[in-house]
Amino acid sequence: MTDNGATSATPTRPRTGRIASGLARGIFRVLGSQQFVLLVVLVLMVVMFTSINSKFFSVGVFGNILVNWAPIALIAVGQTFVVVSGGIDLSVGSTMTLSGVVAAFVMQTATGGGTPDALSLLVGVVTAAGVGLVVGLVNALLINQARLVPFIATLATLGAGAGLSLVLTKGGPIAGGPSSAISLSVPWLGPLSWPGIFVVIIIVIAGLFLHKSRFGRYVFAIGGNSFAATAVGISVKTQITKVYALSGLLAGLGGMVLYITLGSGSPSAGAGQELLAIAAVVIGGASLTGGIGRMSGTVLGSLILTTVTSGLIIINIDPNWNQVVVAVLIAAAVTLQILRRGQGSKA
Amino acid sequence: MNKSQRTITALASLSVAVLGLSACSNSDAGDSGSDEKLNIAFVVGASADPFFLAMKLGAEEEAKALGVNLTFQGDATTYSPATQIPVVNQVLATSPDGLALVPTDPDALQPAVDRAVASGIPVVNVDTSVNDLKDVTSFITGDNADGGAKAADALAAAMDYEDGGTFQVVVGLSSATSTTNVARLDGFKKQIADKYPDIEIAATGYSQSNPATANTNVNNWLTAYPDLKGIFAIDGTNADGASSALRAKGLAGRVALVGYDAYKTNVDLIGSGVITALIAQDPAEEGKLAVRYLVKAIKDGDKADIEKSVTLPNITLDKSTSAADLEKYTYVQSAN
Repeated sequence: MTDNGATSATPTRPRTGRIASGLARGIFRVLGSQQFVLLVVLVLMVVMFTSINSKFFSVGVFGNILVNWAPIALIAVGQTFVVVSGGIDLSVGSTMTLSGVVAAFVMQTATGGGTPDALSLLVGVVTAAGVGLVVGLVNALLINQARLVPFIATLATLGAGAGLSLVLTKGGPIAGGPSSAISLSVPWLGPLSWPGIFVVIIIVIAGLFLHKSRFGRYVFAIGGNSFAATAVGISVKTQITKVYALSGLLAGLGGMVLYITLGSGSPSAGAGQELLAIAAVVIGGASLTGGIGRMSGTVLGSLILTTVTSGLIIINIDPNWNQVVVAVLIAAAVTLQILRRGQGSKA
Repeated sequence: MNKSQRTITALASLSVAVLGLSACSNSDAGDSGSDEKLNIAFVVGASADPFFLAMKLGAEEEAKALGVNLTFQGDATTYSPATQIPVVNQVLATSPDGLALVPTDPDALQPAVDRAVASGIPVVNVDTSVNDLKDVTSFITGDNADGGAKAADALAAAMDYEDGGTFQVVVGLSSATSTTNVARLDGFKKQIADKYPDIEIAATGYSQSNPATANTNVNNWLTAYPDLKGIFAIDGTNADGASSALRAKGLAGRVALVGYDAYKTNVDLIGSGVITALIAQDPAEEGKLAVRYLVKAIKDGDKADIEKSVTLPNITLDKSTSAADLEKYTYVQSAN
């Protein structure tokens, strides 16, 4: 599984190695400026959208962007760990859907039985997180025990999650939960709403975990070369389990964020979101071959994606163009990265 | 190249890309910046659906005639509240003067409508509606229940219905909750109960407005119900999926297919006998009326003469329909 990723990653190694002493420091320096480029792109976008329609530059619009960003950011954060470990998690979109739907049923029952909104919501959060965690553990089981490659393992759970959501809901949204849920998605701290604030906190914690903790170092080591990681005594299976459990857990919470945004559990809520998460991680500078990635890059990548989607609506571009523009962005960002790493030019 | 040169080159190429994007958008949204014109926002379900394309053309024509700006948005391909709500929120954040909305779910879109009305933006519902129409300026739709009944009539006629026989049919829907789907199915069921007691609805399925999913559903039904006599495809995408499945299995004309919505491709299939009949709506007229009523509501307030509820008739198109009528009701797909 992750072995494959490591082997194909090796050719990139000597170049980064040239930057001398610490590999980690080298990565840090190279990606350090990738972040700057992304920030410039984000600012350019805001300037461009504002110059076409001045209404873009408002707390209301930024608030909406952050509401749309919150669930994608959550799964992109989980995906960063997975991608750095040399894997991929395709199941996060449908995990969001499934956990949102299951939480919706639980909250419907709780609220129907007279449970106060706050408690009902809390039960919903725990349920959604639990469902996500279970899906993550199933992924880990399929990868570690059944020896499936992550792509196949998570493709299977993607289908199962999406299908189960349709089975449970029979195709329609599940409402009847706490009526105050939707008001939580109203921005109150500038453009930030409760889910937004929650996601920012999660990002800070996850960033510290990825870049400052022993667990984070293990994840980079496994993604870089899982043979070497095993050789130095890292239990690869344990770390892989943690990585996919974390990704599942965050997707579960993402499902709850979607519930709060929609006010109901929708069987199509998370469809296709996994691709946005992967795109965000890749735009952020992570390498799908593992061992390279930054949390700050992921955050900027996800912000760029949600900003462009909103911006196109506000400047009234035909919606059919949306996917094309996002695709061009991904290609441009990755090309940029390769150019900057010097792999694309001999000069 | 050293690293900083590479960074500069990369940045420059990206700026070019971004600027290119802004240039192409200018041509599309050139006049959205002017201040004196009214800004009408129109949010639909799946904007690439020919039904909504026809609605867009109608709305654009009316907006041009009345001299107002029109923002027409919606997820390109997915008919779902999950994709629609972010679009509605973003459109409302630009504080338009009026909002025409095709709600993809009667519950999920209610808060957005309430918020718009609370901030003084009149809302018209088109095609489908939210649950609480109290604050909605007008609800413009086709007579879906009547359309469902007409579909039952057309299907019964095509199957040579007689009391005492067995007539198994299936219904392909897009969603369990879209109000148009529900109304058509109710009308269809009621007509069967009243007039065709021996028609049995063997199965119903959902396609989420995806013709490929609709096609798979019909393929499976054809396998599961070998004696299937008829299919009611409740909207255009379901009719697409069902007709392709019938043709692939060589059952075109042998299993009666009554569809909804006059997509050009499907109208052509009436001639070749694949589709028995189509129930057509008038989305372009719905779009026009929505814009007209919004402008009236904004300019004249409560005193404007606006019908609170408009129901446009549905028409049955079949082999006996004149060429002129077929052309009139076929959904326009491009302006001119």
